[in-house]
Amino acid sequence: MSLKVYADRTAQPSRAVLIFCKVNGIKFEEITVELAKQQQFSPEYKAINPLKKLPAIVDGGFKLSECHAILIYLASAFPGVPDHWYPTDLQRRAKINSVLSWHHLNLRHGGAPFVLNTALAPVMGLPLNPKAAAEAEKILSRSLATLEKVWLNGNGPFLLGSFQPSIADLSLVCEIMQLELVDKKIKDRLLGPHKKVQRWIESTRNATNPHFDEVHSFLIEVKAKIGVLTALPSKM
Amino acid sequence: MMTRLKVYADRMSQPSRAVLLFCRLNRLDFHEIKVDISKRQQLSPEFKEINPMEKVPAIVHGNFNLFESHAILIYLATAFPGIADHWYPADIHRRAKIHSVLDWHHSNLRHGALTYVVNTVLAPALGRPLNPQAAAEAEKVLLSSLSKLENIWLKGDGAFLLGGFQPSIADLSMVCELMQLEVLGEKDRSRILTPYKKVLQWIEDTRTATNPHFDEVHNILFKVKRKFQEQRLREANSGPEPNNMGGSSKM
Repeated sequence: MSLKVYADRTAQPSRAVLIFCKVNGIKFEEITVELAKQQQFSPEYKAINPLKKLPAIVDGGFKLSECHAILIYLASAFPGVPDHWYPTDLQRRAKINSVLSWHHLNLRHGGAPFVLNTALAPVMGLPLNPKAAAEAEKILSRSLATLEKVWLNGNGPFLLGSFQPSIADLSLVCEIMQLELVDKKIKDRLLGPHKKVQRWIESTRNATNPHFDEVHSFLIEVKAKIGVLTALPSKM
Repeated sequence: MMTRLKVYADRMSQPSRAVLLFCRLNRLDFHEIKVDISKRQQLSPEFKEINPMEKVPAIVHGNFNLFESHAILIYLATAFPGIADHWYPADIHRRAKIHSVLDWHHSNLRHGALTYVVNTVLAPALGRPLNPQAAAEAEKVLLSSLSKLENIWLKGDGAFLLGGFQPSIADLSMVCELMQLEVLGEKDRSRILTPYKKVLQWIEDTRTATNPHFDEVHNILFKVKRKFQEQRLREANSGPEPNNMGGSSKM
Protein backbone atom coordinates (compact mmCIF):
# COMPACT_ATOMS: atom_id res chain seq x y z
CA MET A 1 0.00 0.00 0.00
CA SER A 2 1.70 3.15 -1.09
CA LEU A 3 -0.17 5.72 1.07
CA LYS A 4 0.79 5.91 4.74
CA VAL A 5 -1.06 8.17 7.17
CA TYR A 6 0.74 9.03 10.40
CA ALA A 7 -1.93 9.93 12.94
CA ASP A 8 -3.12 9.97 16.52
CA ARG A 9 -6.90 9.68 16.82
CA THR A 10 -6.75 11.87 19.93
CA ALA A 11 -5.95 14.77 17.59
CA GLN A 12 -8.57 16.61 15.57
CA PRO A 13 -6.62 17.10 12.30
CA SER A 14 -5.56 13.42 12.32
CA ARG A 15 -9.19 12.36 12.52
CA ALA A 16 -10.21 14.60 9.60
CA VAL A 17 -7.62 12.96 7.33
CA LEU A 18 -8.53 9.41 8.42
CA ILE A 19 -12.26 9.99 7.90
CA PHE A 20 -11.64 11.53 4.48
CA CYS A 21 -9.64 8.51 3.33
CA LYS A 22 -12.21 6.04 4.63
CA VAL A 23 -15.23 7.87 3.21
CA ASN A 24 -13.58 8.01 -0.22
CA GLY A 25 -12.33 4.44 -0.22
CA ILE A 26 -8.70 5.54 -0.42
CA LYS A 27 -6.50 2.59 0.52
CA PHE A 28 -3.98 3.50 3.16
CA GLU A 29 -1.96 2.22 6.08
CA GLU A 30 -2.67 3.98 9.38
CA ILE A 31 0.45 4.36 11.51
CA THR A 32 -0.22 5.54 15.05
CA VAL A 33 2.21 8.09 16.49
CA GLU A 34 1.22 8.46 20.15
CA LEU A 35 1.29 12.06 21.31
CA ALA A 36 0.86 11.00 24.95
CA LYS A 37 4.12 9.06 24.67
CA GLN A 38 5.88 11.92 22.83
CA GLN A 39 6.45 9.66 19.82
CA GLN A 40 6.29 12.67 17.49
CA PHE A 41 9.74 13.60 18.81
CA SER A 42 11.38 10.30 17.83
CA PRO A 43 14.17 10.40 15.22
CA GLU A 44 12.09 8.06 13.03
CA TYR A 45 9.13 10.42 12.98
CA LYS A 46 11.34 13.48 12.59
CA ALA A 47 12.51 11.92 9.31
CA ILE A 48 8.88 11.82 8.17
CA ASN A 49 8.00 15.33 9.40
CA PRO A 50 10.77 17.61 10.72
CA LEU A 51 8.05 19.84 12.20
CA LYS A 52 7.23 16.92 14.55
CA LYS A 53 3.48 17.39 14.20
CA LEU A 54 0.58 15.19 13.19
CA PRO A 55 -0.87 14.27 10.80
CA ALA A 56 1.60 13.57 8.03
CA ILE A 57 1.38 11.38 4.96
CA VAL A 58 3.85 9.57 2.77
CA ASP A 59 2.53 8.76 -0.71
CA GLY A 60 5.10 6.74 -2.60
CA GLY A 61 8.14 8.89 -1.89
CA PHE A 62 6.15 12.10 -1.36
CA LYS A 63 5.97 13.45 2.19
CA LEU A 64 3.42 16.03 3.26
CA SER A 65 2.34 17.64 6.52
CA GLU A 66 -0.39 20.09 7.61
CA CYS A 67 -3.91 18.69 7.57
CA HIS A 68 -5.51 21.12 5.08
CA ALA A 69 -2.67 20.66 2.60
CA ILE A 70 -3.07 16.88 3.01
CA LEU A 71 -6.86 16.99 2.49
CA ILE A 72 -6.47 19.10 -0.66
CA TYR A 73 -3.76 16.78 -1.99
CA LEU A 74 -5.83 13.64 -1.36
CA ALA A 75 -8.93 15.21 -2.94
CA SER A 76 -6.91 16.08 -6.06
CA ALA A 77 -4.51 13.14 -6.38
CA PHE A 78 -6.87 10.23 -5.92
CA PRO A 79 -9.35 9.38 -8.69
CA GLY A 80 -13.04 9.10 -7.97
CA VAL A 81 -13.18 11.63 -5.12
CA PRO A 82 -16.48 13.50 -5.62
CA ASP A 83 -16.17 17.15 -6.58
CA HIS A 84 -18.01 18.49 -3.52
CA TRP A 85 -15.07 17.73 -1.24
CA TYR A 86 -12.87 20.34 -2.98
CA PRO A 87 -14.72 21.73 -6.02
CA THR A 88 -12.91 22.49 -9.26
CA ASP A 89 -15.08 25.60 -9.64
CA LEU A 90 -12.62 28.38 -8.76
CA GLN A 91 -15.06 30.53 -6.81
CA ARG A 92 -16.49 27.71 -4.72
CA ARG A 93 -12.96 26.48 -4.11
CA ALA A 94 -11.89 29.99 -3.08
CA LYS A 95 -14.67 30.19 -0.48
CA ILE A 96 -13.57 26.84 0.95
CA ASN A 97 -9.96 28.08 1.06
CA SER A 98 -11.26 31.15 2.87
CA VAL A 99 -12.85 29.18 5.74
CA LEU A 100 -9.86 26.79 5.89
CA SER A 101 -7.61 29.87 6.37
CA TRP A 102 -9.90 31.43 8.97
CA HIS A 103 -9.94 28.20 10.97
CA HIS A 104 -6.29 28.28 12.12
CA LEU A 105 -6.38 31.45 14.22
CA ASN A 106 -10.03 31.15 15.18
CA LEU A 107 -11.77 27.84 15.83
CA ARG A 108 -8.53 25.86 16.19
CA HIS A 109 -6.73 28.60 18.09
CA GLY A 110 -9.57 28.65 20.65
CA GLY A 111 -10.76 25.06 20.61
CA ALA A 112 -7.49 23.16 20.92
CA PRO A 113 -5.97 25.02 23.92
CA PHE A 114 -9.39 25.17 25.60
CA VAL A 115 -9.81 21.39 25.58
CA LEU A 116 -6.13 20.79 26.38
CA ASN A 117 -6.14 23.10 29.39
CA THR A 118 -9.58 22.07 30.68
CA ALA A 119 -9.27 18.30 30.34
CA LEU A 120 -6.73 16.68 28.06
CA ALA A 121 -3.41 17.93 29.45
CA PRO A 122 -2.89 15.16 32.09
CA VAL A 123 -3.10 12.52 29.35
CA MET A 124 -0.27 14.35 27.56
CA GLY A 125 1.75 14.55 30.78
CA LEU A 126 1.10 18.31 31.02
CA PRO A 127 -0.49 20.40 33.77
CA LEU A 128 -3.93 21.92 33.28
CA ASN A 129 -3.80 25.71 32.87
CA PRO A 130 -7.09 27.37 33.86
CA LYS A 131 -5.86 30.83 32.82
CA ALA A 132 -4.96 29.64 29.32
CA ALA A 133 -8.28 27.78 29.19
CA ALA A 134 -10.20 30.96 30.04
CA GLU A 135 -8.45 32.96 27.30
CA ALA A 136 -8.94 30.16 24.78
CA GLU A 137 -12.62 29.95 25.69
CA LYS A 138 -13.16 33.56 24.61
CA ILE A 139 -11.68 32.81 21.18
CA LEU A 140 -13.65 29.57 20.94
CA SER A 141 -16.96 31.27 21.83
CA ARG A 142 -16.37 34.02 19.29
CA SER A 143 -15.53 31.44 16.63
CA LEU A 144 -18.68 29.42 17.32
CA ALA A 145 -20.72 32.61 17.03
CA THR A 146 -19.03 33.43 13.70
CA LEU A 147 -19.79 29.95 12.41
CA GLU A 148 -23.44 30.38 13.42
CA LYS A 149 -23.83 33.86 11.94
CA VAL A 150 -21.51 33.90 8.92
CA TRP A 151 -20.10 30.57 7.75
CA LEU A 152 -23.37 28.62 8.12
CA ASN A 153 -25.44 31.26 6.31
CA GLY A 154 -27.21 29.86 3.29
CA ASN A 155 -29.67 27.24 2.19
CA GLY A 156 -27.74 24.03 2.76
CA PRO A 157 -26.71 22.49 6.09
CA PHE A 158 -22.97 22.68 5.42
CA LEU A 159 -20.45 25.52 5.49
CA LEU A 160 -20.98 28.28 2.93
CA GLY A 161 -24.59 27.19 2.50
CA SER A 162 -23.62 24.03 0.66
CA PHE A 163 -25.80 20.97 0.26
CA GLN A 164 -22.85 18.61 0.47
CA PRO A 165 -19.82 18.54 2.76
CA SER A 166 -16.38 19.76 1.77
CA ILE A 167 -12.98 19.17 3.38
CA ALA A 168 -13.65 22.32 5.41
CA ASP A 169 -16.70 20.74 7.08
CA LEU A 170 -14.66 17.68 7.98
CA SER A 171 -11.75 19.69 9.39
CA LEU A 172 -13.86 22.07 11.46
CA VAL A 173 -16.34 19.51 12.78
CA CYS A 174 -13.48 17.25 13.92
CA GLU A 175 -12.14 20.26 15.82
CA ILE A 176 -15.46 20.81 17.60
CA MET A 177 -15.76 17.09 18.39
CA GLN A 178 -12.77 17.54 20.71
CA LEU A 179 -15.29 19.11 23.12
CA GLU A 180 -16.47 15.54 23.81
CA LEU A 181 -13.48 15.36 26.15
CA VAL A 182 -14.70 18.13 28.47
CA ASP A 183 -17.51 17.95 31.00
CA LYS A 184 -20.90 17.65 29.26
CA LYS A 185 -22.18 20.71 31.13
CA ILE A 186 -19.36 22.83 29.69
CA LYS A 187 -19.87 21.46 26.19
CA ASP A 188 -23.63 22.14 26.35
CA ARG A 189 -23.01 25.66 27.61
CA LEU A 190 -20.68 26.41 24.69
CA LEU A 191 -22.71 24.77 21.94
CA GLY A 192 -26.22 25.32 23.33
CA PRO A 193 -26.81 28.82 21.89
CA HIS A 194 -25.79 27.73 18.38
CA LYS A 195 -28.57 25.73 16.72
CA LYS A 196 -27.12 25.85 13.21
CA VAL A 197 -23.75 24.65 14.50
CA GLN A 198 -25.40 21.70 16.25
CA ARG A 199 -27.36 20.75 13.12
CA TRP A 200 -24.21 21.08 11.03
CA ILE A 201 -22.25 18.71 13.27
CA GLU A 202 -25.06 16.16 12.96
CA SER A 203 -25.27 16.62 9.17
CA THR A 204 -21.53 16.13 8.76
CA ARG A 205 -21.64 13.07 10.95
CA ASN A 206 -24.53 11.58 8.94
CA ALA A 207 -22.82 12.33 5.64
CA THR A 208 -19.64 10.51 6.69
CA ASN A 209 -20.90 7.64 8.86
CA PRO A 210 -20.09 4.94 9.79
CA HIS A 211 -16.53 6.20 9.45
CA PHE A 212 -17.12 9.37 11.51
CA ASP A 213 -18.34 7.41 14.54
CA GLU A 214 -15.69 4.72 14.11
CA VAL A 215 -12.81 7.21 14.07
CA HIS A 216 -14.31 9.23 16.94
CA SER A 217 -14.95 6.18 19.12
CA PHE A 218 -11.33 6.57 20.25
CA LEU A 219 -12.36 9.66 22.22
CA ILE A 220 -14.37 7.43 24.56
CA GLU A 221 -11.10 5.70 25.51
CA VAL A 222 -9.36 9.06 25.96
CA LYS A 223 -12.19 10.38 28.13
CA ALA A 224 -11.93 7.27 30.32
CA LYS A 225 -8.19 7.88 30.71
CA ILE A 226 -8.91 11.49 31.74
CA GLY A 227 -11.36 10.18 34.34
CA VAL A 228 -8.75 7.82 35.79
CA LEU A 229 -6.02 10.46 35.90
CA THR A 230 -8.19 13.13 37.51
CA ALA A 231 -9.46 10.63 40.12
CA LEU A 232 -5.93 9.88 41.30
CA PRO A 233 -4.78 11.39 44.63
CA SER A 234 -3.17 14.79 44.16
CA LYS A 235 0.38 13.66 44.96
CA MET A 236 0.86 13.71 41.12
CA MET B 1 -17.83 41.19 -19.04
CA MET B 2 -16.50 41.11 -15.48
CA THR B 3 -16.21 44.50 -13.82
CA ARG B 4 -12.75 45.58 -12.74
CA LEU B 5 -11.22 43.74 -9.77
CA LYS B 6 -11.43 45.74 -6.55
CA VAL B 7 -8.87 45.16 -3.80
CA TYR B 8 -9.75 46.52 -0.37
CA ALA B 9 -6.52 47.00 1.52
CA ASP B 10 -4.54 48.91 4.11
CA ARG B 11 -0.84 48.96 3.25
CA MET B 12 0.01 48.80 6.95
CA SER B 13 -1.50 45.29 6.91
CA GLN B 14 0.91 42.56 5.91
CA PRO B 15 -1.62 40.36 4.09
CA SER B 16 -2.92 43.45 2.23
CA ARG B 17 0.59 44.12 0.93
CA ALA B 18 1.03 40.54 -0.28
CA VAL B 19 -2.16 40.76 -2.34
CA LEU B 20 -1.33 44.21 -3.78
CA LEU B 21 2.19 43.07 -4.63
CA PHE B 22 0.86 40.01 -6.45
CA CYS B 23 -1.57 42.14 -8.45
CA ARG B 24 1.15 44.63 -9.43
CA LEU B 25 3.71 41.99 -10.35
CA ASN B 26 1.22 40.25 -12.61
CA ARG B 27 -0.14 43.51 -14.05
CA LEU B 28 -3.71 42.69 -13.09
CA ASP B 29 -6.23 45.34 -13.92
CA PHE B 30 -7.48 46.36 -10.49
CA HIS B 31 -8.67 49.23 -8.38
CA GLU B 32 -7.08 49.62 -4.93
CA ILE B 33 -9.51 50.89 -2.31
CA LYS B 34 -7.97 52.01 0.97
CA VAL B 35 -9.62 50.83 4.19
CA ASP B 36 -7.77 52.71 6.94
CA ILE B 37 -7.51 50.47 10.00
CA SER B 38 -6.11 53.27 12.18
CA LYS B 39 -9.41 55.10 11.53
CA ARG B 40 -11.46 51.87 12.11
CA GLN B 41 -12.83 52.03 8.56
CA GLN B 42 -13.01 48.24 8.50
CA LEU B 43 -15.89 48.53 10.97
CA SER B 44 -18.05 50.68 8.68
CA PRO B 45 -21.40 49.27 7.47
CA GLU B 46 -20.20 49.72 3.87
CA PHE B 47 -17.15 47.57 4.40
CA LYS B 48 -19.11 45.02 6.43
CA GLU B 49 -21.11 44.40 3.23
CA ILE B 50 -17.85 43.56 1.46
CA ASN B 51 -16.47 41.44 4.32
CA PRO B 52 -18.67 40.52 7.31
CA MET B 53 -15.47 39.62 9.20
CA GLU B 54 -14.39 43.29 9.04
CA LYS B 55 -10.82 42.45 7.99
CA VAL B 56 -8.51 43.42 5.19
CA PRO B 57 -7.62 42.43 2.56
CA ALA B 58 -10.82 41.59 0.71
CA ILE B 59 -11.58 41.51 -3.00
CA VAL B 60 -14.65 41.97 -5.15
CA HIS B 61 -14.49 40.43 -8.62
CA GLY B 62 -17.75 41.02 -10.47
CA ASN B 63 -20.33 39.86 -7.93
CA PHE B 64 -17.86 37.58 -6.16
CA ASN B 65 -16.55 38.65 -2.75
CA LEU B 66 -13.59 36.98 -1.07
CA PHE B 67 -11.50 37.50 2.05
CA GLU B 68 -8.50 35.75 3.71
CA SER B 69 -5.28 36.63 1.89
CA HIS B 70 -4.17 33.05 1.08
CA ALA B 71 -7.55 32.25 -0.48
CA ILE B 72 -7.32 35.53 -2.43
CA LEU B 73 -3.80 34.83 -3.68
CA ILE B 74 -4.77 31.32 -4.82
CA TYR B 75 -7.90 32.64 -6.53
CA LEU B 76 -6.03 35.41 -8.37
CA ALA B 77 -3.27 33.01 -9.45
CA THR B 78 -5.82 30.65 -10.97
CA ALA B 79 -8.65 32.91 -12.18
CA PHE B 80 -6.55 35.35 -14.21
CA PRO B 81 -4.87 34.27 -17.45
CA GLY B 82 -1.13 34.48 -18.06
CA ILE B 83 0.07 34.18 -14.45
CA ALA B 84 3.51 32.51 -14.41
CA ASP B 85 3.38 28.97 -13.01
CA HIS B 86 5.94 29.55 -10.24
CA TRP B 87 3.49 31.69 -8.26
CA TYR B 88 1.15 28.72 -7.70
CA PRO B 89 2.41 25.67 -9.62
CA ALA B 90 -0.01 23.40 -11.40
CA ASP B 91 2.11 20.39 -10.36
CA ILE B 92 0.13 18.71 -7.61
CA HIS B 93 3.13 17.90 -5.43
CA ARG B 94 4.72 21.35 -5.57
CA ARG B 95 1.32 22.91 -5.00
CA ALA B 96 0.76 20.68 -1.95
CA LYS B 97 4.05 21.82 -0.41
CA ILE B 98 3.01 25.45 -0.91
CA HIS B 99 -0.30 24.73 0.83
CA SER B 100 1.67 23.15 3.65
CA VAL B 101 3.75 26.27 4.35
CA LEU B 102 0.71 28.56 3.85
CA ASP B 103 -1.13 26.51 6.50
CA TRP B 104 1.83 26.53 8.88
CA HIS B 105 2.14 30.31 8.57
CA HIS B 106 -1.05 31.28 10.43
CA SER B 107 -0.33 29.86 13.90
CA ASN B 108 3.39 30.35 13.60
CA LEU B 109 4.97 33.26 11.79
CA ARG B 110 1.82 35.37 11.52
CA HIS B 111 0.67 34.77 15.07
CA GLY B 112 4.14 35.41 16.49
CA ALA B 113 5.13 38.40 14.37
CA LEU B 114 1.76 40.18 14.43
CA THR B 115 1.23 39.82 18.19
CA TYR B 116 4.82 40.86 18.92
CA VAL B 117 4.80 43.98 16.74
CA VAL B 118 1.34 45.11 17.92
CA ASN B 119 2.22 44.69 21.59
CA THR B 120 5.62 46.36 21.42
CA VAL B 121 4.90 49.22 19.00
CA LEU B 122 1.67 49.45 17.02
CA ALA B 123 -1.11 48.97 19.58
CA PRO B 124 -1.52 52.69 20.46
CA ALA B 125 -2.05 53.52 16.78
CA LEU B 126 -4.91 51.00 16.85
CA GLY B 127 -6.37 52.48 20.03
CA ARG B 128 -5.16 49.68 22.29
CA PRO B 129 -2.67 49.46 25.13
CA LEU B 130 0.70 47.77 24.71
CA ASN B 131 0.84 44.35 26.39
CA PRO B 132 4.36 43.32 27.37
CA GLN B 133 3.27 39.88 28.56
CA ALA B 134 1.57 39.09 25.27
CA ALA B 135 4.68 40.43 23.52
CA ALA B 136 6.94 38.10 25.52
CA GLU B 137 4.82 35.05 24.65
CA ALA B 138 4.59 36.11 21.02
CA GLU B 139 8.34 36.54 20.84
CA LYS B 140 8.80 32.85 21.70
CA VAL B 141 6.46 31.89 18.85
CA LEU B 142 8.21 34.32 16.49
CA LEU B 143 11.69 33.00 17.28
CA SER B 144 10.53 29.40 16.95
CA SER B 145 8.99 30.25 13.57
CA LEU B 146 12.17 31.96 12.36
CA SER B 147 14.13 28.89 13.39
CA LYS B 148 11.79 26.64 11.39
CA LEU B 149 12.05 28.92 8.37
CA GLU B 150 15.85 28.86 8.64
CA ASN B 151 16.19 25.12 9.16
CA ILE B 152 13.22 23.56 7.41
CA TRP B 153 11.28 25.75 5.01
CA LEU B 154 14.36 27.38 3.43
CA LYS B 155 16.22 24.10 2.99
CA GLY B 156 17.06 23.31 -0.62
CA ASP B 157 18.93 24.59 -3.62
CA GLY B 158 16.93 27.66 -4.54
CA ALA B 159 16.68 31.03 -2.82
CA PHE B 160 12.98 30.73 -2.00
CA LEU B 161 10.72 28.65 0.25
CA LEU B 162 10.75 24.90 -0.34
CA GLY B 163 14.00 25.20 -2.30
CA GLY B 164 12.25 27.07 -5.10
CA PHE B 165 14.30 28.96 -7.69
CA GLN B 166 11.48 31.44 -8.18
CA PRO B 167 9.10 32.97 -5.66
CA SER B 168 5.61 31.63 -5.00
CA ILE B 169 2.60 33.22 -3.29
CA ALA B 170 3.96 31.75 -0.04
CA ASP B 171 7.15 33.81 -0.34
CA LEU B 172 5.08 36.98 -0.85
CA SER B 173 2.85 36.23 2.11
CA MET B 174 5.64 35.42 4.53
CA VAL B 175 8.12 38.11 3.51
CA CYS B 176 5.41 40.78 3.77
CA GLU B 177 4.77 39.47 7.28
CA LEU B 178 8.44 39.79 8.23
CA MET B 179 8.67 43.29 6.79
CA GLN B 180 6.36 44.43 9.60
CA LEU B 181 9.37 44.03 11.92
CA GLU B 182 10.77 47.18 10.25
CA VAL B 183 8.74 49.31 12.70
CA LEU B 184 10.58 47.87 15.68
CA GLY B 185 13.56 49.66 17.20
CA GLU B 186 16.73 48.83 15.28
CA LYS B 187 18.30 47.02 18.25
CA ASP B 188 15.19 44.91 18.77
CA ARG B 189 14.83 44.02 15.10
CA SER B 190 18.53 43.16 14.84
CA ARG B 191 18.41 41.00 17.94
CA ILE B 192 15.51 39.03 16.55
CA LEU B 193 16.62 38.60 12.94
CA THR B 194 20.42 38.55 12.91
CA PRO B 195 20.83 34.89 13.92
CA TYR B 196 18.82 33.82 10.87
CA LYS B 197 21.14 34.31 7.89
CA LYS B 198 19.07 32.35 5.37
CA VAL B 199 15.94 34.24 6.38
CA LEU B 200 17.67 37.59 5.89
CA GLN B 201 19.01 36.52 2.50
CA TRP B 202 15.56 35.27 1.48
CA ILE B 203 13.91 38.58 2.38
CA GLU B 204 16.50 40.36 0.20
CA ASP B 205 16.07 37.87 -2.67
CA THR B 206 12.29 38.23 -2.58
CA ARG B 207 12.61 42.00 -2.58
CA THR B 208 15.02 41.88 -5.55
CA ALA B 209 12.77 39.50 -7.46
CA THR B 210 9.72 41.71 -6.98
CA ASN B 211 11.10 45.26 -7.17
CA PRO B 212 10.24 48.03 -7.89
CA HIS B 213 6.77 46.95 -6.77
CA PHE B 214 8.01 45.58 -3.43
CA ASP B 215 9.49 48.91 -2.34
CA GLU B 216 6.50 50.84 -3.67
CA VAL B 217 3.99 48.72 -1.76
CA HIS B 218 6.11 49.00 1.39
CA ASN B 219 6.52 52.76 1.06
CA ILE B 220 4.04 53.60 3.82
CA LEU B 221 5.67 51.09 6.16
CA PHE B 222 9.06 52.78 5.65
CA LYS B 223 7.44 56.16 6.39
CA VAL B 224 5.91 54.79 9.61
CA LYS B 225 9.29 53.28 10.51
CA ARG B 226 10.96 56.70 10.13
CA LYS B 227 8.29 58.35 12.29
CA PHE B 228 8.82 55.80 15.05
CA GLN B 229 12.61 56.23 14.79
CA GLU B 230 12.27 60.02 15.13
CA GLN B 231 9.93 59.58 18.08
CA ARG B 232 12.36 57.22 19.82
CA LEU B 233 15.20 59.67 19.23
CA ARG B 234 13.19 62.54 20.74
CA GLU B 235 12.25 60.38 23.73
CA ALA B 236 15.88 59.36 24.21
CA ASN B 237 16.88 63.02 24.24
CA SER B 238 14.07 64.45 26.33
CA GLY B 239 12.07 61.69 28.04
CA PRO B 240 8.86 59.88 26.92
CA GLU B 241 6.23 61.85 25.06
CA PRO B 242 2.51 61.07 24.62
CA ASN B 243 2.00 58.79 21.67
CA ASN B 244 0.75 60.85 18.73
CA MET B 245 0.65 58.04 16.20
CA GLY B 246 -3.00 57.14 16.85
CA GLY B 247 -5.32 57.78 13.95
CA SER B 248 -2.78 59.96 12.19
CA SER B 249 -4.11 60.85 8.80
CA LYS B 250 -0.66 61.89 7.71
CA MET B 251 0.31 58.19 7.44
